[in-house]
Amino acid sequence: MIEQLFSSTNYQATRQLLDAATLRHEALATNIANLETPGYKRVDLPKTFAQEFAGRLRAGELKSAPAPQLVEDATRSSVREDGNNVELDRELLALGKNATEYDTLTEFVSGSIKQLRLAITGRNT
Amino acid sequence: MDFLSGIHATASALNAEKIRMDVVAQNIANAHTTRDTDGKAYQRKVVTFESLLGPESGVRVAEIGNDFTAGELVYNPQHPHADKDGMVQMPNVRLAMEMVDLLSASRAYEANLSVARNARQMAAKALAIGR
Repeated sequence: MIEQLFSSTNYQATRQLLDAATLRHEALATNIANLETPGYKRVDLPKTFAQEFAGRLRAGELKSAPAPQLVEDATRSSVREDGNNVELDRELLALGKNATEYDTLTEFVSGSIKQLRLAITGRNT
Repeated sequence: MDFLSGIHATASALNAEKIRMDVVAQNIANAHTTRDTDGKAYQRKVVTFESLLGPESGVRVAEIGNDFTAGELVYNPQHPHADKDGMVQMPNVRLAMEMVDLLSASRAYEANLSVARNARQMAAKALAIGR
C-alpha cells in the first residue's frame, strides 16, 4: 500500500529531477573551479535532457530511464585567448537557478509527505 | 555521490586560488630583490592550473614556473649589486600586473565560496524534506 504511494509517477519524476539537479550542481561547481584553467571546456547535463525526460514522462517509462551523465558543452564558443569557455556570470546565474529548482522539488516532496501524514493521523502537524 | 555535491571541485579550486594568492604575495614581497638564490635578480613566479576529471573532479596547480622575461636595467652605481657599468638588473615583477592577478584570484575564490554556500543550502533543503 505504502509502496504504491512512493512509486507514483510524480514521486519517481521528482526523485530523478532531484538527482539531475545534484549532478548539475556538480557540473557548475567543476566549471567555476576551472575558471582559469587554459583550454578547459565547460561540462553540463546533455542539452537534450529536459526533452528526453519529458518524453519518458509522457510515455510512462520513467523507471527505465538511465541516470544522466555529464558531457562537455562544445556549443558555447570561447571568447578567450586561452580557449576556456567558462563565463563566471552565466555559471553563477545557472547555479542560483538550479538551487531554486532544487528547493521547488524538495517542497513538492515535503508537500506530498505532509499530505500522507495528514491522511494517516488526521492532524495537521 | 557526495553529501554536498561538487564539494571536491570547489575545495580543490579554493586551494588552487589560495596558492595563486600566495605566489602573488611572494612576487610582491620580492619586487626589489636583486639577488635570488641563483645569484641573479628575482624572477616572478607564475601559477598554471590544470583540470582534473573523474570522481575527484576539479582543478589543481600544475606547476609554479618562472617568468623568464627580462626585468628593468637601472643605472645605480652605488648599488652593491651593480655591474661594472653601474647597471643593476631589477626583478621582472610589475606591481600593477600582480595586483590584477591578486584581484582576479580573490574574485575566483569568492565565486567558489558561493558555490559551497549554495551546496550547503541545497543539502539543508534535502534534509528538511518531510518537515
